Amino acid sequence: MELRINGMTHQIDVEPETPLLWVIREELGMTGTKYGCGLAQCGACTVMIDGRVARSCVTPVESVAGAEVTTIEAVETDPVGRKVVAAWIDNQVPQCGYCQSGQVMAAVALLKENPSPGESEITEAMVNLCRCATYNAIHAAVRQVAKA
Amino acid sequence: MLKRLIAVFAAAIVVIAAAGAWWATRVPASPFDRASQASPGATEAPEATVARGAYVARQADCVACHTTEGGASFAGGLAMGTPIGAIYTTNITPDRETGIGSYSLAEFDNAVRRGVARDGHRLYPAMPYPSYAKMTDEDVQALYGYFMKRVTPVRQENRASDIPWPLNMRWPLAFWNIPFYDGHPYVADTSRSAQWNRGAYLVQGAGHCGSCHTPRGLAMQERALDQGSAAYLSGALLDGWYAPSLRNDPNTGLGRWSESEIVSYLRTGRNVHGVVFGSMLEAFNNSTQHLSEEDLGAMAHYLKSLPGDPERDGKPWSYQAAPARTGSPSNGEKIYAARCAYCHGVDGRGRGQWISPLAGASSVLSKENASTINITLNGSGRVVQAGTPDSYRMPPLRQLLSDGEIADVLTYVRGAWGNGAPAVTPEDVAKLRRTTNPSSDEVIILQMR
Amino acid sequence: MNSLASTDLGPHDLSETPINLSRRGFLGASFGAFVLGVALPAGPARAQAGAGPAIDPGTRVPAFLEIRPDGSVLLQSPFIEGGQGIFTAMAQIVGEEMDADPSRFSVVAAPPGPDYLVVNGKLRITGGSMSVRTSYERMRRLGAIARRMLLQAAADRLGVPLADLRTEPGKVVHIASGRELAYGELAPAAMTLSVPTDVPLKSPADFRWIGKSVPRLDVADKSTGRATYSIDVAVDGMLLAAVQHAPRLGCEPAALLNEAQVGAMRGVHSVHRLPGAVAVVADRWWRARKAVEALQVEWKEADPFVQRPFPVMPADFSSAALKDKLIASHGKALDAEVVGDVGGAMGKAAKVVEAVYDAPFIAHAQLEPPAATARFNADGTLDLWVPNQAPEIFQRNAAKLAGLEPEQVRVHSPMLGGFFGRHFYYEASLAFPQAMQLAKAVGRPVKLIWSREEEFLRDTLRPMGVVRFKAGLDARGKPVALEAEVPGEGPRFRVNKVPLDKPDPTAVEGIAEKPYAIPNRRISQIPVPYPVMIGFWRSVGHSMNGFLYETFFDEMADAGQQDPFALRLELLAGNARLTALLKSVADLSGGWRRGPYTAADGSRRARGIAMASPFGSEVATIAEVSVSKNTIVLHDIWVAIDPGHVVNPAIVEAQVRSAVGNGLSTALLEEVVYEHGRPKARNYDQYPILPPDRMPPVHVRIIESGAPMGGVGEPGVPGVPPAVANALSTLLGRRIRSLPLSKAPLTASAS
Ligand code: FES
Ligand code: FES
Repeated sequence: MELRINGMTHQIDVEPETPLLWVIREELGMTGTKYGCGLAQCGACTVMIDGRVARSCVTPVESVAGAEVTTIEAVETDPVGRKVVAAWIDNQVPQCGYCQSGQVMAAVALLKENPSPGESEITEAMVNLCRCATYNAIHAAVRQVAKA
Repeated sequence: MLKRLIAVFAAAIVVIAAAGAWWATRVPASPFDRASQASPGATEAPEATVARGAYVARQADCVACHTTEGGASFAGGLAMGTPIGAIYTTNITPDRETGIGSYSLAEFDNAVRRGVARDGHRLYPAMPYPSYAKMTDEDVQALYGYFMKRVTPVRQENRASDIPWPLNMRWPLAFWNIPFYDGHPYVADTSRSAQWNRGAYLVQGAGHCGSCHTPRGLAMQERALDQGSAAYLSGALLDGWYAPSLRNDPNTGLGRWSESEIVSYLRTGRNVHGVVFGSMLEAFNNSTQHLSEEDLGAMAHYLKSLPGDPERDGKPWSYQAAPARTGSPSNGEKIYAARCAYCHGVDGRGRGQWISPLAGASSVLSKENASTINITLNGSGRVVQAGTPDSYRMPPLRQLLSDGEIADVLTYVRGAWGNGAPAVTPEDVAKLRRTTNPSSDEVIILQMR
Repeated sequence: MNSLASTDLGPHDLSETPINLSRRGFLGASFGAFVLGVALPAGPARAQAGAGPAIDPGTRVPAFLEIRPDGSVLLQSPFIEGGQGIFTAMAQIVGEEMDADPSRFSVVAAPPGPDYLVVNGKLRITGGSMSVRTSYERMRRLGAIARRMLLQAAADRLGVPLADLRTEPGKVVHIASGRELAYGELAPAAMTLSVPTDVPLKSPADFRWIGKSVPRLDVADKSTGRATYSIDVAVDGMLLAAVQHAPRLGCEPAALLNEAQVGAMRGVHSVHRLPGAVAVVADRWWRARKAVEALQVEWKEADPFVQRPFPVMPADFSSAALKDKLIASHGKALDAEVVGDVGGAMGKAAKVVEAVYDAPFIAHAQLEPPAATARFNADGTLDLWVPNQAPEIFQRNAAKLAGLEPEQVRVHSPMLGGFFGRHFYYEASLAFPQAMQLAKAVGRPVKLIWSREEEFLRDTLRPMGVVRFKAGLDARGKPVALEAEVPGEGPRFRVNKVPLDKPDPTAVEGIAEKPYAIPNRRISQIPVPYPVMIGFWRSVGHSMNGFLYETFFDEMADAGQQDPFALRLELLAGNARLTALLKSVADLSGGWRRGPYTAADGSRRARGIAMASPFGSEVATIAEVSVSKNTIVLHDIWVAIDPGHVVNPAIVEAQVRSAVGNGLSTALLEEVVYEHGRPKARNYDQYPILPPDRMPPVHVRIIESGAPMGGVGEPGVPGVPPAVANALSTLLGRRIRSLPLSKAPLTASAS
C-alpha cells in the first residue's frame, strides 16, 4: 500500500493490520516514535494523522491509507512544532526522554488545533504517561507556547 | 457459551420433590439401546466418523466448558457459578474410572441429548442438552466415536458441586424437563431450502446459540428453542454480558449485517460491525472459526430469516456526526477523548475490521448496558484466529476509571453518533465491578486432544 | 544449540557489584596518589595484576576526551545517561577544570575498561545516586590534567614557559602577547604528552560552570526524537526477535504444539527454545512478536534438582499470602541497630503503641521496554548494545556466556529510557543473554525486544516491605523506646548473593539509623526469602521504609498527643543541619499547618510531613491533600533537600520533581499483585503509574549546607509516600498503614 508520512509517499508491503508504529519504526527506519506499551496506555508512540493526535501503536496501517501522517522527525518543519521544541528546551523538559517524542507530538497537535488552550484544556489534552514524571515541566512548556 | 451459567432450580426443587421418584430417576430410552450394549467404549468407528465427530465437538464447543486453562483437554473442572453454589464441569475424557470411558453409545447419547448420566442422575441444564437433543443420531454417534477414539483418557476425579443438600438433589430436574424439554431431533422444514435447514440445525442444535442469545423464563429455561417464537435469539442478559439479538433487528441485532458479514464474523472473529468479545470470544476461539464456510453460510442464512421486532428495536440507527459544540465538553466526552478515542476514533467509527466501531454497535445500542460496562471494566480476552492472536485488544479500565467516570463515558458513548441509548449510572457500574473480573490478557487456546 | 544454551551464568563477583548503596562507606573516601604515565593501549584494557602498571581510573585523558579541530569536545562518560543529567554534570565538572564550555561537549557512555572505574576509584556503576559524589574530585582532576596538557602543548609550540600562559574557555592565551591558541589546534600534540601528576584544582570561588544551572546537553535531541536508545539500535543484516517467557520463573519449555505453523508465518526466520522462554526470530519485530505469541507452549515445572541463580516461582504463590506470612513471621532476628535498653524502657513506658505497616511489591515500569542487540563478528569478538547500569559486569558475564575473554566483548551502553534500578545485572531479568543465544543460533546479528507484557512478567521488583513497630511513650507523650522488626529480604543480599546471616542494609535503611533522639532503639531484620525476583528500585530500601517508618512516627506522635512536626523538631534538637532543613520546608510551604482545615475553594485539606536521609542527602517533604469524588487529590508538594553541595541546581530540582512523581505514584497507585504464581498486571492498564493529572506542583528548595556531597537522583522519593499518607490520615481521622492508598476507603471516621 501507499503511505504518506511527513510529506513523502512510501510504498510498503505489510500485513494490513500492522500497527502504524512498527511500520514507521521498522519499514521506514524512523525511530523517534517510541514503543512503550502497545496498548494505547502510555502515548510514547504519539503521531499526528491529518493533523490530529493519534497513537500509532493502535492504528492499523490500513486505516491511514490516504491520510497524512506526521512524526516527530518532521516536527521542526512546522512553525508550531518549532515553537513547541523551543519551549521544551527552554523548560528543560526531558529526563530520560523516552516519552518525549510523544509528549511533543501531543503538544503540537493540541496547539495546532487550539493555539491558546487554557489550563484545563492543557490538562485534558496532555495525557501521555511519563515515568520520569516530567509533568510540571511539560505543563509549563505547553503553557509557554499557549501564551506566546 | 454456558460458562458459569446460572442454574437455579432451588425453588422448583422443593415444590416438586414430592412427585413420583421412579419416573424421575428412570433412564430414558435411546435409539442406541441395542446397538452398543456389547462393549462400551470400544467403538469400531471408522476414521471418517471420528473426524466428523471432532467436527461435531467443535460445533457443540464441548472443549470450552469441559477444559480449564492449563488443564488436560476435556478433563472438566471448570467452575460455573450459580446463586446456590458453584457447579463443576465433568471429566468427559474416555478414562474408564473418572471419565466416560465406560459409557456405551446409548449412555453417552442419554447424557448428551437427554441430560441423564450413566448412573441415572440428572445433569444440570448448564449442559445444554435441550439444544443438543436436536442433533441427529449420526452426529451423536460420530461424537461418541471421537471421544472414545481420539480424546486422550485423563484420570481426574469429578468435583462435587458446592451446592448444599437438599438443593443438590438431582432427580427433581426431571420435572423441569416436562415443560422445557422437547427431546426430538431436528425435523427439517421441507418448505425451506436445504441451506436454511442446515443452518437451523446447527444454530438450534449443536451450536446452542440460544443458550446465550435467547431470553430465559422464570425457571431459567430458554423461552424458545426455535424460530416458532419471536423470543428465539432475541437477546438475553447472562452472566454479566448482554448477548444481543441475532434476529433481523437493525439496531440491536443483525439487521444491518449481510450474510457474508455474519460468516466473516464467525470465521475471523471480526467484520466492519465489530470484533467478538465477552462470551462470544470464547465461542469464536474454540468453536465457530473451526466450522466450514458452508456451515457458517447456512447459519448466517438461517439467522437472516428471523424477523426483527421494530417495536423492541426502535427507529433504525443512522450515523449522526456530532453537532458543533457549544460550551465545554461533558466529562464523558473528555474521558472518551483521553481513554477511548485513540482506538475507537473521535468519530466512534473504530478502525476498519480491526477495532470495533462504537457508533451503531448493537451492544452499545441495546437497552441493557451490561456488555458495555463489562468490557470497559474488564476488557476483552485475546481473539485467536487460526492460531494467531489479535493485534489489538481492549484493555480493562477498572483500575484506571472510577464507577462515576465509566458511567460518564458510557453515557457519552451511548448518546453520541446517533446511538440514542439510555444513560449508565455509577450504581450499574459498581454492581458489575463487584461481580466480575478482568479478562486475561494471555493467549488462551484450549486444545482438543 | 551450543554452549550458550547453558543457563549457568555463574555467581556474582561481589567486588564489582554495588557495594553499598546507602551513604555509609562513601563519605570521606580518600583519593590516593596517582600512578601515571602509561601509554594508552590500542584496545580496551584490563587492570590485572602482572599485566603492566595498574591504570589509575580517571586519569588518562585520551581515554576520556577527544578535542576536535573546531574545539568541540567528545567526552566518554563513565556513567550512563538515563535522564538524571549525568552527561551534563560530567561535562560541567570536566569542562570547569579544563576551561572548556560544557555546551561544546558531546557526551557518550564509555565502553568497559579500567579507566572508567571512577566510583571511588574502584568500580563503575550508575546507581545509588553515587555518580557525581563518588567521582567528583577525580573527574575534576581529569579536566585539570587535560588543561595542563593543552597548556604544555601550547608552551611547546610557542617556546615559552608554562607560567606565561593562561587559559580562557576553549583556548590558551599567551599573557604577554595576547596570542591565542584554540584547544582544537593544540589537541593533537597535547594528547601525545605524558600525563602530569601534580595539577592543582580550581578554587570553588572561581567556578564558572559548577554550581550553575547549565542547560542539559541531551534536551534538544530528546525533544526532537533524535536521541537513540537500545530499542532503536540498528546494525547491518540484523534480524529481530521476540520472546515468550515461561509463566512462572523456573518453568521450561516442553512441547511446542504448533512450531511448524508458526515457523511458516510471514517473515519468520526461526523458532527457538531458550532457558525459561521460547523465541521467534523474524525480519520484523512485529512479525516476531505475533509469531511468538502464537506459539503454543507446554511448560514443564522446574526440576527441583537443578541449581539456579534465581528462585523458582511456586504455582500457588500469592503476594497476599506472603504479606500474611511476613506479618506473622517470628524467626531469628538480626539486629541492625541497638541503642540503649529497649526492653527496659518499654517496660517502664507510660504508654505502648504497636502497629504493623506494609508496602507492596513495585515494578520499575520504566517506559522503554528492555531491548538488546548482539552481533558476533568474524574476528571472534562480540558487540552488545544493552541497557545497563554497569558495563563491566555485563561485559564479564557476556564473555563467560559466550566463552570469550572480556576484551573480546564490546558493550555499548545507549541512553536509558528510564532505569530506576532496572538495569543492573539481574539473573533471569535480562534480554541480552537471549539476544546472544539467538544471534549465535542464526549466525546473524539479532535485536531482541521484550514486549511490555514480557517486561512486567520478568521485571525484578522492589521487595514487599512489612514492619512490626512498637513504641514506648513517657508520661508526657514523648517516645522513649522504639522497636522495629523487619521481616523479609532486601535486594542487596539477594542480588549479590550474600548469605542472610546479618541484616541486609537495603532491607533496613530508612528505619535503622534514623536521626531522631529516641534514647532506646532496636531495629532488626528477620530474614524471610521471597520467591520473587527482587532488585533495586529508585531509592532502594528507603523507598518503602520511608513510608513505613515516617507514618508510624506520626502514629506515635498522635498517641502521645504531640504535633508530628513539633515532635520531629524536638527529637532533632541539637542537629543543626536537620533542624534547618525542617524549618526550611515548613517555610517553603508557608508555615507548618497540619489541618484538617477548609481551603479557600471550600475543600477540606490536611498536610503531612516526613523526613528521610537517603544516599548522603537530607530531605524533608510536606504534602497537602484533599479528597474529592472519592479520589485523593494532591494540591502541592514541598521538598527541601540538602545534598551538601550541588553541581547543577536545575538538574537537582528536576531530579527531585521526578523522584517526587515516582514516590507519589507508589503512594497512590502502584502494587504488583501475584496470584497463582503470576503477576496479575502485564501492562500499564492493570499497573497504573502516575498520570499527569495527578501530579501536583512540586516546589523544591535546595540547601547547600556544605556537608559532604550527597546523592540527588533518588532522595526525593522516600519522603513522599509518608507525607501523603500522614496528610490523608489526618484528613480522615484514621491511620492508614498500607500502600497503595488507592486501596484505602476514603470516608472520614469519627474518631
Ligand atoms: S506505545 Fe502506543 S500508547 Fe504506549
Ligand atoms: S522523560 Fe522519561 S519517561 Fe518521560
